[in-house]
Amino acid sequence: MPAAACPIGRACLFTFGCTLLFTLTGCDGPQSTLSPAGTGAARILTLFWWMAGFAFVIWLIVFGIAVYASRPKRSSHSANASRWLIIGGGAIFPTVVLTLLLVFGFRLMADLRTTEGADLRIAVTGERWWWRVRYLGQKDQSTELANEIRLPLGKRIEFILDSPDVIHSFWIPSLGGKVDMIPGRINKLVLEPTRVGVFRGVCAEYCGTSHALMNFKVVVMQAEDFEDWLATQAEPAAAPRSALARQGKKGFFANGCSACHTIRGTSADGEIGPDLTHVGSRLSLGADILPTTPEAFRRWIAHTEEIKPGVKMPSFGMLPDEQLQAMAAYLSGLQ
Amino acid sequence: MTDMSHQNQIPKNEEERRAQEARLAKPWEAPPGWRYWSAVNNTEVGLWYTVGAFIFFLFAGVLALLMRTQLSVPGNDFLSAETYNQFFTLHGSIMMFLFGVPIFEAFSIMILPQILGARDLPFPRLSAYGFWCFVIGGIFVCGSVFFDAAPRGGWFMYPPLTTKYQEGIGADIWLLGLSFIEIASIAAAVELIVGVLKTRPPGMRINMIPLYAWYVLVVAGMILFAFPPLIAGDLLLEMERAFDWPFFDPDRGGDPLFWQHLFWIFGHPEVYIIFLPAIALVAMIVPTFAQRPIVGYTWVVLAAVGTGFVSFGLWVHHMYTTGLPGISLSFFSAASEAVAIPTGVQIFCFLATALAGKFVRNVAMLFVTGALAIFVIGGLTGVMVAVAPFDFQVHDTYFVVAHLHYVLIGGVLFPVSAGLYYFYPMVTGKTLSEKTGQVAFWFMFIGFNVAFMPMHLSGLLGMPRRVFTYMDAPGYDILNMTSTVGAYVLAAGFACLVYEVVRPKKNQPYAKRNPWNAGTLEWMAEMPAKPWGARTIPLVKSRYPLWDQPNFLDDVDNGRFYLPDAEEGKRETMISTSIDAVPIQCLRVPGPTFKTFWAAMFTGGFFIFATYKWYTAAMISAALALAAILYWLWTGTAKIPEKREKHVGLGMTLPLYGSGSQSVGWWAMFITMVADVTAFLGLVFGYFFYWTVNEDFPPASASGPGFGWPLLAAGILLGSWIMTVLARRWNRQARSGAFYSALVTAIVFATAGIAALAAGPWLADMDPVSHVYPATVWILVIWTALHLGLGVIMQLYCMARRFAGRMTFEYDIDIQNVTLYWHFMAITVLVTTAVIGGFPLLT
Amino acid sequence: MSENTEDSEITVRPELRELPERRESLWLLILGPLIWSAHFLLSYITAAVWCAKVAGRTGSLSCARLAIAVFTLLALSGIGLTAWGAWRRHKYGRATVPHDLNTAADRHRFLGFATLLLCGLSFVGTAYVALGIVFFQSCE
Repeated sequence: MPAAACPIGRACLFTFGCTLLFTLTGCDGPQSTLSPAGTGAARILTLFWWMAGFAFVIWLIVFGIAVYASRPKRSSHSANASRWLIIGGGAIFPTVVLTLLLVFGFRLMADLRTTEGADLRIAVTGERWWWRVRYLGQKDQSTELANEIRLPLGKRIEFILDSPDVIHSFWIPSLGGKVDMIPGRINKLVLEPTRVGVFRGVCAEYCGTSHALMNFKVVVMQAEDFEDWLATQAEPAAAPRSALARQGKKGFFANGCSACHTIRGTSADGEIGPDLTHVGSRLSLGADILPTTPEAFRRWIAHTEEIKPGVKMPSFGMLPDEQLQAMAAYLSGLQ
Repeated sequence: MTDMSHQNQIPKNEEERRAQEARLAKPWEAPPGWRYWSAVNNTEVGLWYTVGAFIFFLFAGVLALLMRTQLSVPGNDFLSAETYNQFFTLHGSIMMFLFGVPIFEAFSIMILPQILGARDLPFPRLSAYGFWCFVIGGIFVCGSVFFDAAPRGGWFMYPPLTTKYQEGIGADIWLLGLSFIEIASIAAAVELIVGVLKTRPPGMRINMIPLYAWYVLVVAGMILFAFPPLIAGDLLLEMERAFDWPFFDPDRGGDPLFWQHLFWIFGHPEVYIIFLPAIALVAMIVPTFAQRPIVGYTWVVLAAVGTGFVSFGLWVHHMYTTGLPGISLSFFSAASEAVAIPTGVQIFCFLATALAGKFVRNVAMLFVTGALAIFVIGGLTGVMVAVAPFDFQVHDTYFVVAHLHYVLIGGVLFPVSAGLYYFYPMVTGKTLSEKTGQVAFWFMFIGFNVAFMPMHLSGLLGMPRRVFTYMDAPGYDILNMTSTVGAYVLAAGFACLVYEVVRPKKNQPYAKRNPWNAGTLEWMAEMPAKPWGARTIPLVKSRYPLWDQPNFLDDVDNGRFYLPDAEEGKRETMISTSIDAVPIQCLRVPGPTFKTFWAAMFTGGFFIFATYKWYTAAMISAALALAAILYWLWTGTAKIPEKREKHVGLGMTLPLYGSGSQSVGWWAMFITMVADVTAFLGLVFGYFFYWTVNEDFPPASASGPGFGWPLLAAGILLGSWIMTVLARRWNRQARSGAFYSALVTAIVFATAGIAALAAGPWLADMDPVSHVYPATVWILVIWTALHLGLGVIMQLYCMARRFAGRMTFEYDIDIQNVTLYWHFMAITVLVTTAVIGGFPLLT
Repeated sequence: MSENTEDSEITVRPELRELPERRESLWLLILGPLIWSAHFLLSYITAAVWCAKVAGRTGSLSCARLAIAVFTLLALSGIGLTAWGAWRRHKYGRATVPHDLNTAADRHRFLGFATLLLCGLSFVGTAYVALGIVFFQSCE
């Protein structure tokens, strides 16, 4: 039989190498934990690199011993000497390493979990399958939007997380760890963005049919830009400007959309679906699965079920195309 | 015990030896024709069980390939969201419940008696019953996918998704179908524990038993404590689905997290329940191919027992992100790291054995080496995810998918493949081809790494698990395509292995006896194996008798050990003490029957009809199942032997009957009831869990069962228990009248006690739908009442047995075991009444 | 899991009489891990009940930490005592690992050694669990 163990080692190293290559070329991405944009993510990444490095060395040693043992021509070892391998390698070494790891892990966890000193509070509710986002103001006032979270750079932001239906999990990989949203409970998470950019958040807990299609956009902005943006979001919707959009607004009300959606400044005050007051200003539609172009709005209204299986909103594919286009124009114009 | 002067059973010449072998073979032969399926012997049942588990494995593997096809490119529409969700739910559930655990039990049923030099396990019919339950439940669960009715809540079935937000019977199929299989798993665990403790050959003291048996003992013990909490959880979840009892509904005091606790108290030990037996195979294979005894036997025992314990302290590491207090997470993080120590010890024991001995190169060792390479990676990433902050990032991502497959494929599938190559000759008498094995290995090894190594990276790049599709992000397309290609290569490798196993080998000669030159008892087997399992039951003086005891096989073959003959034409094996393996009984085990098959069919009927909410049919089926089981017990157990003792060879005479703690049935009852009490404690845990999560529990406005009724119930029911104990004693003293009147009183008390127990919540009008408090009280009462009802049936059974003369003053297994059951009833009653009646007084 | 047939066994195997303890059982083997389990559960329940019922989600752990520290001391001494007994059994007579002889004495030594190793693991496990109270002051 050909050399058994060595090829295994080579195959593993090759795969390791390939993965490393991938890692070096492709860390970036809107939802990558490997290119952190928050303090939490950065500290966890440092921990990861240390652990991964150590793990690699330990693997090489363990497997190296196996390869050595499988060599046909090697000197024989006494059982007593081998026993020291068990005591040293199996008992003492892991105990020491794991103690260190635990100490680091506990210290980091205690830091990550403290919710003190938040500069801004945002309540996020996981719905099937989108995100209700409320910026909590000084008193009881709040500004609601959906599927998009904008954050000021360098501030500590406390997220207050819950769910009215099933368990979801709120995760912005670039900023930090995830926390579940559990019906009947309120969980908290503090994140601190350190880099301006556009990122993606996802639902990490399986929550039913379209779990895969429950994402959101995260935009980290300079603090002053953020204040402007939030002020705009707090305003009621602007009146439609074009004739097409005005027609679309009629269509919106004629088809009962207002029963589920709120557009502040109009009589639409439904609370089942996402708030659409400034939906046209958002970077994505349908929980970050479509852009906010008029064409995307038209597709979404006409083929909702097809785009997002199991969604509560009915498809309005039966409406005439002109009406769909008009509604799309109205909604995408809600800047 | 080894008086060599008495050698009257040892055959004097060839002719006598032949006659003896013929007499011995007769009772052990498998039944011919279609009656083959009535076999209960471990060789047949173990083989069916193993093949069944592998078929389910292949099915789940095909589902995985279809899922990988869907994920090969972003935004794919090969599978719909709902189909994909059903597939991933089934893939996980089947691999865990229909392959991972059963393959261990199946394999152990098949080889454990051989390893212990016994002829069969102590309860062959229980194995058969478990097997048929497994097949029926498995087909029911798997079949649902062809009707688009499969469960789609994930293998973890988190409510409220599975209670309120998924229509159809998928979740019921999962809950009831798998509960049914869990019962079969517990049955097998009971069988295996008693097997290891009581059926060892003379001389095989606790420090001599093969490591495989140590692992079996530990793993079966873990099943006993891990599965019952899940059964309790299944019961609660199904009560909520079927009758709207709000255990997991936060609006009525319930909490979805309670399910997660129950599920993972099961779910994490489950991983080790699957992993340890595979390591047990390695612990048999490595010494054989190192051609020397294992180095660090005690260390391996430490690792097995230690892992068994510590693995119960890990469950919350599946719940790191649920928002529990940091201090709680730290406890579980600590245990999750501690468990790495015994795991490491095992690996170093195997390495040390190889270093101190040889390293015979063949396919089995190739798979072992591959397993090491893969598993160590999985173990190391496991240490990483056990650090809570890191888990905050990668929890529920593809990183964890990669981790768990490195653990389970490296830690289970590769060792099992090695075990297949190693044990195949023992089962069929023929060896598998080395060449095909190498091809299969390399396809599997490369395919596996190509499929799963990139998943670490997709997870780190933020790709969540359980997604039927994904948006494109840098790297996702190439990583996922690579994984899909790898999955197909892995499947091709496995196909080679399957082909090699099933290809006809008519013309291939039988392997020589003990083909690997192993040292343990299972290799006494002749090629092909004879139906009796062990020609004689040997006297063991070493951990590796085939290496160390001179003339061993010759002595075995020539009837120079115990039980070389079957003069009465009965199936016989030896029962010994649990520590020092001193023989105490010659046990007659039952032969082929269809009774267990029918019992399983009706039991299955109950669960399947209940899925469709056909409750009348379900109840009829349950009654038939009970009748079938009673008939099976009545005709097949605690038989009074025609003589008191029997000469078993080498001058030893053993009793043919033992009752109380001398009987294997007593041990089985004890072990079963430990599992039962564990499930019960799961429900009690619920009561206190709801107390901690609710502001006021019991709610100030709610009426409770009061104190009086529970106290009365406790009094009367303890009376029933005392009367049962007295009945046992008076039976021993041959006082028939006292025996019967004690049991009648006990039955009256039990019935009155059940009524008093139910009267508390009933008279207080406690509505279980309104709030979790009344629901919890009712579930405790119902649990206790059902068990008491069963206790009454047992008391009646003892009276009937006594009346029919199947139980006597002296031969009293039945009443002994029933009394043991009632000891546990006393505990159950005390806890229930103290909780529902006493606890509200404290708050 | 104690032996009920010990007496009958004595007559068969006289060397059993020489042993310091006549009754061998498997319970002693798992005493270390059992103490670990008890400590683990107690610590978990203490922290959970404290945070849920007394201090609240962001409250201080104060007394709970002290209680867990006391549990830890008790558990570690229990494991230490068990280990000491196990060590003596391991060293009984002329001790030689791997304790694989077919005698009652070697079985005795084996059980001692296995108990000792399990105590070692339980000790580390218990200490690990206790590490948590060093780093966490609040229920967050």
